[in-house]
Amino acid sequence: MKRTHPSFSRFKNYIRRPHIVISLILLAILLFIVLVPFARMIRDSFIWQFADTRLSRNALPGEFTLFHWKRVFSSALTQNILVRPLFNSLTTSLSVSACAMFIGSMLAWLVARTDIPFRKTIATVAVLPYVIPSYIHALAWINLFKNDRIGGAAGVFQYLTGIVPPDWLSYGYLPIVVTLSIHYFPFTFLLVSAALTSIDSRLEESGEILGASRTHILRRITFPLVLPALLSSFILTFSRVLGTFGTPYFLGTPVRYFTLSTQIYSNITNRIPSVGYILAFVLIAISSAVIYINQKMIGKSKSYVTIGGKGFRVTDTPLGRMQYPLLALIVLLFLASVVLPLVLIVWQTLALYPGDYSLRHLTLLFWIGEANTAFAEGEAGVLRNPAILGAAWNSIKLALSASALAGFLGIFIGYAVVKGRNTKLASMVEQMSFLPYLVPGIAFGALYLALFSHSFGPIPALYGTFFLVALVCVAKNLPFTGRAVITSMLQIGSELEEASETLGARWSMRFRKIILPLSIQGAISGFVLVFITVMRELSLIILLVTPQTRTLTTMTFRYQEQGYTQFSSAISVMIIVIVIFGELFSKKLGKKGSI
Amino acid sequence: MRKVVSVLSLLSLVLCFSFSNAAAGSFNEEELYQAAKKEGEVNIYSYSSRVFKFGKTFEAKYPGIKVNGFDMDSPEIVTKVLAEQSAKNYVADVIFLKDPSTVVNELYNKKLVSNYVPADLEALIPAEYREPLLVHHASVDAIIYNNEKMSAPPIKSLWELTTPEWKGRVIFPDPQKMSEYVEVLATIVQHSDEMAADYKKVFGKDIELSSGIENAGYEWIFRLLNNDAIILGSTNSVAEAVGLSDQANPPVGFTAYSRLRDKEKNPKLKFDVMLDVSPVIGVATEVIIAQVNEAKHPNAAKLLTRWMMGDEKGGNGYEPYFVMGNFPVRTDVPAPEGSKNLSELKLWKADPDYVWNSGQQVLDFWVAHLK
Repeated sequence: MKRTHPSFSRFKNYIRRPHIVISLILLAILLFIVLVPFARMIRDSFIWQFADTRLSRNALPGEFTLFHWKRVFSSALTQNILVRPLFNSLTTSLSVSACAMFIGSMLAWLVARTDIPFRKTIATVAVLPYVIPSYIHALAWINLFKNDRIGGAAGVFQYLTGIVPPDWLSYGYLPIVVTLSIHYFPFTFLLVSAALTSIDSRLEESGEILGASRTHILRRITFPLVLPALLSSFILTFSRVLGTFGTPYFLGTPVRYFTLSTQIYSNITNRIPSVGYILAFVLIAISSAVIYINQKMIGKSKSYVTIGGKGFRVTDTPLGRMQYPLLALIVLLFLASVVLPLVLIVWQTLALYPGDYSLRHLTLLFWIGEANTAFAEGEAGVLRNPAILGAAWNSIKLALSASALAGFLGIFIGYAVVKGRNTKLASMVEQMSFLPYLVPGIAFGALYLALFSHSFGPIPALYGTFFLVALVCVAKNLPFTGRAVITSMLQIGSELEEASETLGARWSMRFRKIILPLSIQGAISGFVLVFITVMRELSLIILLVTPQTRTLTTMTFRYQEQGYTQFSSAISVMIIVIVIFGELFSKKLGKKGSI
Repeated sequence: MRKVVSVLSLLSLVLCFSFSNAAAGSFNEEELYQAAKKEGEVNIYSYSSRVFKFGKTFEAKYPGIKVNGFDMDSPEIVTKVLAEQSAKNYVADVIFLKDPSTVVNELYNKKLVSNYVPADLEALIPAEYREPLLVHHASVDAIIYNNEKMSAPPIKSLWELTTPEWKGRVIFPDPQKMSEYVEVLATIVQHSDEMAADYKKVFGKDIELSSGIENAGYEWIFRLLNNDAIILGSTNSVAEAVGLSDQANPPVGFTAYSRLRDKEKNPKLKFDVMLDVSPVIGVATEVIIAQVNEAKHPNAAKLLTRWMMGDEKGGNGYEPYFVMGNFPVRTDVPAPEGSKNLSELKLWKADPDYVWNSGQQVLDFWVAHLK
């Protein structure tokens, strides 16, 4: 018999622990779908591309160069492709985060802690603004507040009041902040209401007994307790807004208000991807810095966290005379953020001529019309159009497979991270799975295009396959499911698994009977979020889809560009309907799966 | 450069066709149809949404062959074909797009696409439109005005757009998004001498260039941007912004001449192209058709190409393009009703070599001066 070296047997022991094995497998997967693309991005920023021969006579495709970095950081273009867009990105992202956090947490507090009427209904509709694609809010704003700067028809506001809205109201900073805040406050609402419901309200009550004023309790007890939730919603909102392209493009361009995301988009579509990547690094650096600060703050506030346990009761704060004014305010918010854009968009699908809202010209042509070359370049209405129905099927397939796969991987990430807490390996898995969140969608898509149009190693060239489109969606959305599972697993002690381990249960058994049931809630909420996100995904996949794999979003974008507002609106309505159905369905699923 | 390319491609064409002299000059439609029918379908990447129109008529004319049209911007088509070629996953069979300089330099010179001119059309298309790649039609970008509000074209010279009277009232499509407007801007810079001469004609004195600016072409771009020109993301939004009726103070704007066809789609649009502007009314760019290397449906692609070139009346496959503002390359096709011939218009033609060599520089200038 061969004697094994002690360190080798220690290694064998180490490697036999399931969460280590899982971590290692996950690392291999993440290496392939996250780290390799990221490394490629860094490399490409230092290499002359063939298309660069347009940019410089000295370009030698394939050779090393600092040209792209100089172009971004010290050239005649720096001011306009980096400095001003950076400033605009930062100010909009910070303002949106602040507004969204304010609206979201106020709403959460009203629903979770007060006697405001219709609480259940409010909680359900509060998620809807996120379901409506954000560019629809932007287009609705233009319809409302358009002035004559960009010609065309006047907006509804000018039509009704006769007052010409000033540029700052119609385009640029203010409308971008308002529309994106409306779109993103559900993030904060969801996280903060979850935190509020899990906090024992006796803490607040004891404050009250001790004679503290209401605002004092809010400030000194409630606020510190929900701070972690607030901070994570800040990260989510901030980095999301930083990478948003559609809204700043529609609302900013008329007054030359550019952001980093619009600059990344135009550089990549102009086939100067290296410059786009460098701008993406700037975005990543900002997000990372924000997350770092954030984690420091969460770390500090951890000492406040209390173990609530089950069975505590929540006492509602009476609102008194403020009850109905506040309710009215909420109704107003929903009218503005959900009803108005929805009515507008459905109406648009019925207008015979774009922008003509008169009843005389209403038609169902764009829904059920037969192919007629007199309209829309001879395309049939969306419900009869095989190309659009095919795209709808693709969208559903993509959203389902990406969210299932991301949910599945999320469970393992959650397990590996929670089990191996405080180990280097676990934090590596966690950080790597979070990285894609920081890369703007369009840059991530461009990377995958560059990377997977060649075969590398054992992997064949994936460009043109459905799998590649699904893969990029999984990679980009892993942070959602990973986070969701980590949070739900953290709430459960490891005693259960350890007990069954002691009783001799094998890992596969423990996984099926304990880990899976305990993490399924988190995985499902991650799954829903990914499903919604992928259904509406545009910039991430637009470079990767082919005629066979195109989705509803890529079609609505084309129609919008071509000026077929009716088609693009009708497809958007289809997307919203599918998303809402998906959400309702998964809510049912979630109830069945709960324990 | 272009000459060398043309000679090379001519040589290769000669080589291709020399094996059967009988085939050259005559186009065997039936034979091609039978071969195409075996392939069953054809994938076309098109810069123009009118692909769906000629796709439908093609399917009716040639049963058994399905047309999968995919509508996207020209730069994206190039990016996709490059990706497909390196992935060896050949989706596109034929591409139909703007920006010939990029296509020639990045695809044709690297043998990723090739040229196909239907044999029966060789005598009907001037050589400049046959080589290196087949030109489908020429398209013109010009200035439009609202002819409901204004009884006559409001300007006589491009330079008037830089005067205070037009501050904030000129729309220009985003060249960062649409490569044909890089062609337009580069062509204006290329003709800077004529721009300078026109300035003198209009204002009666020599132009004074702002500091750091090379020539009158750049100076015009600089002044246009400083005059608070408005940038929009698509040619159809320009048409709507300028043309919608009931406007108190409609702007003017650059857009595709062929946008005139939008007026049929939307009767509330009232605009026209200014046909008397000095030094030119606009810039002509070319739209090309190229056959993709290793395509899975090469015969169907050729048959579709032939269909797109239409008949001598500008009919069948060419019909969607037989409109004002698109100019046929076939010498036997008359200009559409009410339209002039390309040669009768005061235009500059975009020069693919110049655009390839200087277009990016001009675009950089534009980006650097967006204030």
